[in-house]
Amino acid sequence: MHIPDGYLGPATCVFFYIVMIPVWYKAFKMTSKYLSDKSVPMMGMLSAFVFLVMMFNWPVPDGTTAHMVGAVLVAILLGPWAAVIVVSVVLVIQAFFFGDGGLTSLAANCFNMAFVMPFTGYYVYKALMKFFGKENAKTMALAAAIGGYVGINIAAFCAAVEFGIQPYIAPGYCPYGLNLSIPAMMLAHMLVAGPVEAVVTGSVIYYLKTYSPHLLELPKVMPGGESVGNMD
Amino acid sequence: METWIKKTVIVIVILCLLSPIGILLTWNYGDAWGEWSEVKVGNETWEPKSYSGGAPLADYDVPGWEDQFMASLGYIISAFVGVFMVILMSLGVAKLGEIYNEIRGKNTEDDRSDRD
Repeated sequence: MHIPDGYLGPATCVFFYIVMIPVWYKAFKMTSKYLSDKSVPMMGMLSAFVFLVMMFNWPVPDGTTAHMVGAVLVAILLGPWAAVIVVSVVLVIQAFFFGDGGLTSLAANCFNMAFVMPFTGYYVYKALMKFFGKENAKTMALAAAIGGYVGINIAAFCAAVEFGIQPYIAPGYCPYGLNLSIPAMMLAHMLVAGPVEAVVTGSVIYYLKTYSPHLLELPKVMPGGESVGNMD
Repeated sequence: METWIKKTVIVIVILCLLSPIGILLTWNYGDAWGEWSEVKVGNETWEPKSYSGGAPLADYDVPGWEDQFMASLGYIISAFVGVFMVILMSLGVAKLGEIYNEIRGKNTEDDRSDRD
């Protein structure tokens, strides 16, 4: 899902930088204000985890590959604003040192994977927990798995739209339109990366709830700004 | 160090060592959709414009290490290098946040006694 340089036209690239600069600033402000020292080691560990899970490419039946992202797991553990920081850090390192994702398209990639994905996944998780009504390892794992699945697929859809509108607005960039980009991205993520995301996100939450529940109660940054030390 | 951090570090090291699975499993597959360095569109070859001189460990490999064994080794090296850098950078951002807070004067006496 890392859009390289040369696929998005100048207008799209500039647009996403304009969107992301205030998002990054807000995420930075919220994270520094509400995240305590206790959450900092978790931020470091999760950034490593996110970086690594993205290295595992899984085969897609149409001959391409896809990978999970891990953003929803970060959002559940530290709150979605902290996930913006953690996943953006990973995307910056990937772009500069490993050529994975372009520099002009960095903001678009951050929008998809570090902003849209953790927030949607987090809200799906919260809504499901409310719906389930009780909080145990099984309900949390299920809610987290579905949150992960929905989150990565919404992110993939955003990427597909960004790719697919180029032929209409910026000829010479991504050569394929929406009629090809949407089915291709959705196949890869609904069929392969989504299930991987769901299984990993659900399993980690299940494991933590069962064996280290205190790690689920680290101070986190809620979307509204308040810091809470436990699940509400 | 807290025990959960030790355990997580072990998991991270194991994931680094297992990372070549991520290329070996897809060795005969193409790139991810939309990440081609060139692609045939009809009869023409389309190439994305490139704006940078390239990354030091492009495609998570040491340049020139091409067969499955060497690429796997390059992938493991990339995994360790990447993990080191993302941890460094996220702790750096957290540190920056602390400095930002101090400038903003968020730290009350309460917070200070909590620290350390």
